[in-house]
Amino acid sequence: MPRSKKQAFTVGWLYPDLMNIYGDRGNILTLLKRAEWRGFEAKLIELGRGTTQQMEEVDVFFFGGGQDREQALVYADLLEFKQPPLEQAVRNGAGVLAVCGGYQLLGHYYQTADGELFPGIAMIDVKTEAGKRRFIGDVVVDANIDTLNPKTLVGFENHSGRTFLGPKARPLGKTRLGSGNNGSDGMEGCLQGTVLGTYMHGSLLPKNPHLADYLIRSALIRRGVDELSPLDDSVELAAHERILQRAQHAQSR
Amino acid sequence: MLDRSGARSRALGVKDKKPIRKKSIRKTAAVLAGKATGALSRASGRGGGTTLPGDVARAIDPRVLSKLASDLTQGSVVITGTNGKTTTARLVTWLLEGAGYRVVSNRAGANLIFGATAAALNKAGPDGRLRADWGVFEIDEASLPKAVAEIQPKATLVLNLFRDQLDRYGELESIAKKIESALSALPDSSTAILNADDPRVAEIGLGLPKPPLWFGLDDIRVAMHDLPHAADARTCPKCGASLHFDAVYVGHDGVYECPNHDFARPTPNITATNIKLDGFERFSADIAKTHIEIPLGGLYNTYNVLAAFAAGRTLGLKPKYMAERLRNVEAAFGRQERMEFRGRHLNLVLSKNPAGFNETLRTAVDLAKGTNFLIGLNDRKADGTDVSWIWDVDFEQLKAKAKVVVPAGSRAHDMAVRLKYAGVPAEPPQAEPGRALDSLIKATNEGDTAHLLCTYTAMLDLRAELVRRGWAKPYWET
Repeated sequence: MPRSKKQAFTVGWLYPDLMNIYGDRGNILTLLKRAEWRGFEAKLIELGRGTTQQMEEVDVFFFGGGQDREQALVYADLLEFKQPPLEQAVRNGAGVLAVCGGYQLLGHYYQTADGELFPGIAMIDVKTEAGKRRFIGDVVVDANIDTLNPKTLVGFENHSGRTFLGPKARPLGKTRLGSGNNGSDGMEGCLQGTVLGTYMHGSLLPKNPHLADYLIRSALIRRGVDELSPLDDSVELAAHERILQRAQHAQSR
Repeated sequence: MLDRSGARSRALGVKDKKPIRKKSIRKTAAVLAGKATGALSRASGRGGGTTLPGDVARAIDPRVLSKLASDLTQGSVVITGTNGKTTTARLVTWLLEGAGYRVVSNRAGANLIFGATAAALNKAGPDGRLRADWGVFEIDEASLPKAVAEIQPKATLVLNLFRDQLDRYGELESIAKKIESALSALPDSSTAILNADDPRVAEIGLGLPKPPLWFGLDDIRVAMHDLPHAADARTCPKCGASLHFDAVYVGHDGVYECPNHDFARPTPNITATNIKLDGFERFSADIAKTHIEIPLGGLYNTYNVLAAFAAGRTLGLKPKYMAERLRNVEAAFGRQERMEFRGRHLNLVLSKNPAGFNETLRTAVDLAKGTNFLIGLNDRKADGTDVSWIWDVDFEQLKAKAKVVVPAGSRAHDMAVRLKYAGVPAEPPQAEPGRALDSLIKATNEGDTAHLLCTYTAMLDLRAELVRRGWAKPYWET
C-alpha cells in the first residue's frame, strides 16, 4: 500500500550543549543521514536542561560525554526531569547509545578516587570506579552482535573510569586493541536490552556504519520495519579498514 | 627616534662588564652545550634545531631560561591561548623590532618550555649572556605556569580558550585552572592582557588580584547570531545557566551575559570597531581611535592584531607608529602563506581545531569565494591523536560552494567520511602528500586559487613536499 507520508525516524540528543566534547555530533549526523538516505523523515529533538518534550517520539537517544563542570549540571537535570520519560521510552522499545560520561551516568554509580559515590540512574547493570591512569588511544573490538558485518568496531577512547558489568549486562565486544571498560577483563562497552554503552568515540558511528544501522533497525522493529535497504558504505568502511590496518601494524611491532 | 630607542637599549648593556660570577659558570656551560646541539641539528639537516638545544641546556642548568630572561634589557611578553599564539607573537615582535629593539622569540611554533629556552640560547653570546632587549614568547597553555615563573614577563596575553586536542591536554577546565594559577602568581608590575569576549578567559580575569587589561571586538556587523557547534564554554560560572549571546564573533567569543545577571562580558578597555574584512588578503579596523590596515585576512586575525596592539601600548609603543608598521606585516609561517605553482595560486592556512577551522572555512568560502580545497588531517602528537573533533567543524559550509575538495593527510579517510556526511562531494582520499597535491593541481585551472586548510603536521608534510618540488623555502630559513 503506497504511503502518502514518509515514515519518521527520530533521534533524541540528550544535553547537546553540555555533553558534546568528543565530536558526538558525528553520531547524530550518521543516524540522521542514514535514515534520510533510505527515505525516512529523519528528525532531531534536542533535549537540553529542563525539557522532556516529545521524548515519547524518540527512536534512538544519544547521550555523550562532557567535562566535569558540565557533567555535574547534567546530573541534577537527569534525576529531576529526564529519568522517568527516558525509562518509559526504553520500555517501549526506544534505543539508547551512551558514550563515555553518558555510559557512566546510566549505570549504578560512579565512585571517585576519594571513595565518594555518585549514584547513576541504574538503567544498565554497570558500575564505575575512578582509575589513576587515563586510557587514551585507538580501540578495536570484536563485537558481540551476531548480525554485524564486518564483526569489528573501531573507535578512540579517552577515559580514566573503570567500568565493571553486572550479570544483566553483556559486553559489547572483546578488545583487540585498547583498554576498553576497565583495562583488566579485555571487554569493551555493554549491551542491555536496547541500551548500548561504550567508551568508544571518534566519532563512533561514522566509521561503524553497520553499528549505526543496527541501532536504527533495532529501534524501528516496533514500527514494523524489519529490513533496511542497503547503502554504499565504501567510504566509511575504507576509514574503518585503515584503523584495522594500523591496529595490526601496532600489534606486530 | 627609532634609532635612539635601539641605542638606548644597547646602552643598557653595561652589565656586560661585570666579572663572571661563579653561579653563571653553570649557565654559560648550559648555553654553550645548547648552542652546539642546535648547530649540529641544523648541520645534519634534521630540522631547525628549535627545541632540542633547550632540552640539553636545561639538563645542565635547569634555571637557564630564567637567567637568560633576566639578561633582557627591557623584559618579556608571553602569549598563550588556543588559537593565534604564533601570529600574535609575530606581530608583537614585528612592532618591537620596528621600534629599534633587539627581540628574541620562539618563532617556529616551538612553544613548550624547551622551545622558549632554545630561542633564548640562539641569541646568547659565547659568554653565555643573552644579547637582546625584549623576549616575545608564545607558550603552550599547559606550560604557562612554569614559563611565567621562569620568564617573569612584563605582559601576559591570553587570546582565547577553545577545545583543542583533548587527548593531550585534558579538558578545557584543567587548562583554564593552569592559566589562572599562572596569572595569579604574576607580580604587580606585570600586566595581564585578556580577551573579554571569551567567557572562559573572562572568568579567569575576573578572579585575578590585579584587574587585567581587557580587549574585545565591538562591531555587530561582522558577528554571527548563533553559536557554532564547536562552542564549548557557554554556561555561567556562578549559576550554571546557559549564557545568552548578543553577538558571536569567533567560536564562543562574543558578547554574552548570564540570563540571571550573575556574569557578563567585562567592558573592554581597548576595542576594534569599524571592521572591514577582505578575504584572506587584508582587513581594516579602528583600534584605540587609530585606523589600522593590515595584509592579514579573517576575523580571527582581527583578534590577534587587537591583542598585539594592546600589548604594544602596554609596552609604550605609540598607536600611530603601530598603525604604520602593521601595514607591511607578513603572515606567520604557514598560518597563511601564498605560493604559486604552474600559474595556480595556493593559499596554505593552518586550521587545527574546531574554532580555528570554522573561521578559516568561513573566510575561504564566504569572503574569498574559494571553490577548490585541500583539507589535510593528520593525527600525530602535535595535531592531537584523537580526530573526533572534525565532527564539530561545520564542513557543511562547503556544500554547494566548493567545486573540488581533496581529503588529505594521514587521516584523509576520516575526512572523506566527514565530507560525505556534510553533503560535500569529494575527490578520493589521498594520505600521501604528493598525491594529494597532484590531485588538487589536476583539478585546479591555471589562474585559479586553491585553499589548503591543514592541521599542524599535515601542513609540515605538504610544505616539505612543496619544498622538494622547489615551491617554498624550508621553514628555518624564513
